[in-house]
Amino acid sequence: MKCENCNERNATFFLEQIINGEKRSHRLCRACAEQLGLFHPGKNAIEDVFSPLLGSHTAMIDEIFGFAGQGVKAKKCEGCGVTWQELSKSGKVGCPRCYATFEAELESSIRGIHGNVTHVGTGPIKKRVSTGPVKKRVCTAREDLLEDLKKLMREAIESENFEEAARLRDKIRAESDKKGG
Amino acid sequence: MSWYQVKGAEADTVISSRIRLARNINGYTFGKRLSAEDAKEILCQVEKALSEDYTRTDMDALSSVSARALVEQHLISPDFASLKAPRALFRNDKKSIYLMALEEDHIRLQCILPGLSLQDAYRLAAECDETLNEALDIAFDDKLGYLTHCPTNLGTGLRASVMLFLPAMTERRMIPSLQHQLQKIGLTIRGMYGEGSAAHGCIYQISNQITLGLSVEDILRNLEDAVGSIITKERALRKNVTDEAALLREDRCRRAEGVLHFAKCISSEEFFSLYRDVKLGICEGIITSITHETLNTLFISVMPAMLVQNESPAPKTALARDVLRAEFIKKALEVKPRG
Repeated sequence: MKCENCNERNATFFLEQIINGEKRSHRLCRACAEQLGLFHPGKNAIEDVFSPLLGSHTAMIDEIFGFAGQGVKAKKCEGCGVTWQELSKSGKVGCPRCYATFEAELESSIRGIHGNVTHVGTGPIKKRVSTGPVKKRVCTAREDLLEDLKKLMREAIESENFEEAARLRDKIRAESDKKGG
Repeated sequence: MSWYQVKGAEADTVISSRIRLARNINGYTFGKRLSAEDAKEILCQVEKALSEDYTRTDMDALSSVSARALVEQHLISPDFASLKAPRALFRNDKKSIYLMALEEDHIRLQCILPGLSLQDAYRLAAECDETLNEALDIAFDDKLGYLTHCPTNLGTGLRASVMLFLPAMTERRMIPSLQHQLQKIGLTIRGMYGEGSAAHGCIYQISNQITLGLSVEDILRNLEDAVGSIITKERALRKNVTDEAALLREDRCRRAEGVLHFAKCISSEEFFSLYRDVKLGICEGIITSITHETLNTLFISVMPAMLVQNESPAPKTALARDVLRAEFIKKALEVKPRG
């Protein structure tokens, strides 16, 4: 039996995927399985079950076997600009908003890690809706930022690091303008 | 006083209990996507949110030895010590809360207490969490709970862990099967410094793996139940020895005590095994001149970075460090605790 990916070597790696109740079977050789990140020599298979990269595997399998929906790979989070392809590669989201953007794509990974997808218990007293429009909170710490920058500039002058002091001076000006505007 | 300077509950088997809550602020990106300016804003926001009881330490301002010393005290993660991006540690005056700002998540709030005290540790962490929740726009979703950089921390964002001393189970090679059993109930066992670290001195960390779909109460109860069973098992194994084995054990404990008092140089590797034997000696009533808290303090104090951080000039060779370690131990054991 030949490997589905390279169609050259014998298939020794058998994979079954169940998506929405539909079973798909794949046959791969060891080299292709390794290349696709589905097999790590010397790594405990149990760890893989909990691996946050599970989404990445699913995405890669989908990509190779052509199951991915049109545009899924390029789907982008408005909060941070991360694409599904980038997210599934790193196994980590780019911002809190990603969970709403990639809700459907992430569900199977989250279920794989935790065995379910529903939080039990309380949240912050002032409950926040993360799916709202992306609007950066106005930082109440802007004043502190300016103070910090000024302090750094004074330190730079004292240590005669004038290049750094000039850079900080420009930054303070820019920040002050932002504040003024 | 730091957690290791105080004797806690079940000190014969439990070294410490730790609660970690992962929290993030809406409107900011994570990790490498976070700009230096946004990082600074987050640090300012966290500083403002916390009361004056907290001291901020910017990690950039620390030497690598000082940062490593914080890891050795289990106050920060190894990753937090080595990251290159802006980040800060906030500590409260009571030395119970250690908040890592801009580790993997924007906020990693930790409470560490001596002995078995998960509930107390959670209560203290929850108080600080409430303060943060009131002051900051914490990312939370009705369905997924607290939103985190890595999906493995979603939901409660809670990682509860207990540091255990398990010489009898280690000796009988029971740790791999324990690992297997714990995995089935959503718990994991690792070495002293967490993921991928070796179990020096028969010290292990057991923590919850699953953070979503279980309430905080269930996570803590699950861990407490498992730890309770492990403690019972470990104690039974320590008792269940032949007279000959007990004699050999006593000999080993007394020899280790002797080495601590009289050796000229002690490597950190050797110290781990001495710690194991002396600790067991204290537990079994064989060694009475050293207390659990003295030994635990010693354990932290003679780690490589802790040992040299206040030394000037710093010892240059491994042998010089080992000599310094032996001298430090000798001196620490000469001064008996008051009362």
